[in-house]
Amino acid sequence: MHRPNSIREILDILELHGEDARILAGGQTLVPMMAMRVASPAHLIDLALAHELHQFDVTKGALRVGAGVTQSTLEGWDQLALKQPLLEMMFPWVAHSPIRNRGTVCGSIAHADPSAEMVLALMTLGGSVTLASKKRERTVNAADFFLGALQTSREPNELIVSAEFPMQSAETGFGFAEYGYRHGDFAVVAVAVVRNGKSWTIGFGGVDDTVKVFRIEASSIGEVDEHINKLASTIEVREDPTATSGLRRHLMRTLGARAVNQAFEFKGNYQS
Amino acid sequence: MTEQSIHLTINGVERAAKCEDRTTLLDFVRHDLGLTGTHAGCEHGVCGACTVEVNGQIVRSCLMFACQASGANIKTVEGIARAGELTDLQVAFKKHHALQCGFCTPGFLMAADDLLRKNTSPSELEVREGLSGNLCRCTGYVGIVEAVLEVAVQRRNKIGDARA
Repeated sequence: MHRPNSIREILDILELHGEDARILAGGQTLVPMMAMRVASPAHLIDLALAHELHQFDVTKGALRVGAGVTQSTLEGWDQLALKQPLLEMMFPWVAHSPIRNRGTVCGSIAHADPSAEMVLALMTLGGSVTLASKKRERTVNAADFFLGALQTSREPNELIVSAEFPMQSAETGFGFAEYGYRHGDFAVVAVAVVRNGKSWTIGFGGVDDTVKVFRIEASSIGEVDEHINKLASTIEVREDPTATSGLRRHLMRTLGARAVNQAFEFKGNYQS
Repeated sequence: MTEQSIHLTINGVERAAKCEDRTTLLDFVRHDLGLTGTHAGCEHGVCGACTVEVNGQIVRSCLMFACQASGANIKTVEGIARAGELTDLQVAFKKHHALQCGFCTPGFLMAADDLLRKNTSPSELEVREGLSGNLCRCTGYVGIVEAVLEVAVQRRNKIGDARA
């Protein structure tokens, strides 16, 4: 176990051991995987002491969340409902509070589970991920970062430094709906909606190997629902032991309608 | 395998020890410190039996390495009551039959204590949500929820009495 104090030290260790190393942020996914021997990294790099990673701020029109920021830290931020309402709606659905007390926003994104709420938020808001290696730093659009279920474009020598959730304009409405089998469990299907006038962005989590995002123009709720209805009938939808594709298509429609309605009636004090 | 020296405060007592990198906080608390009140259930973060408080926040001790807790202030179920006495929550758990086998109870006590500190007058739904990260295979949760709701009322009344 390495417990470096700075990003520079982390990048040095990654350069040396990247292939055999795993980043330990909150550990709420990695440690269970190690307990079940699914993962057995030779080197663990704990982010806890690298204080520069434990900050979040609003810069360049986005909420930038450092790699060490826990979900409960962000959830407890008194400005969250004003700055990033979609995340505020989602947090109660992210596992349970003892898990959110250690689990990080970026850790969830690094894990890239297509049912995870943080992944859905980043994709639907059109966010990005900033990665650093010893030689360079790069910012990747969420759509290019998530390659598949549990697969990202992160290189073995790279650290996810932060994730950026873009602010939307002042009149934007937000909606979120999810269905899971148990409270705090991963979503079977989750839907996030961002509405700006007649422009609607709709993200579906849990339906395929990556979050699916669609942008549509519509002048009424009925029209949006009709679009979702068509999408639910036509797009590729995963089938697995937890749910048939038919159930997932049904949930796309019902949860979609609920989230669309919520975004239409959204009356937050959203400040962009 | 490397070893680390760690130094932490547990239930108000400072302790120093050595542990392997791979030792979880759960195993460290039970095996090295001998505090077996914290229970090892699923050991992958699902059941909540191993819940402890680290720097004022409840966490799964099975999902944290002991060396990460170096310098931390930790409270386990042994730390919630004075020796020989039961806390109000423990009394209420007993009264409402909120435990049968008792395996999950340490985790529930830690989670309920945390819940009542954050929310002094929770609704039944809020209690159920607050405890949803803990599994009990005996009671069906009814007694547990009743116990927590009763303690919430008792604690509010106590504050009311103190102010009167």
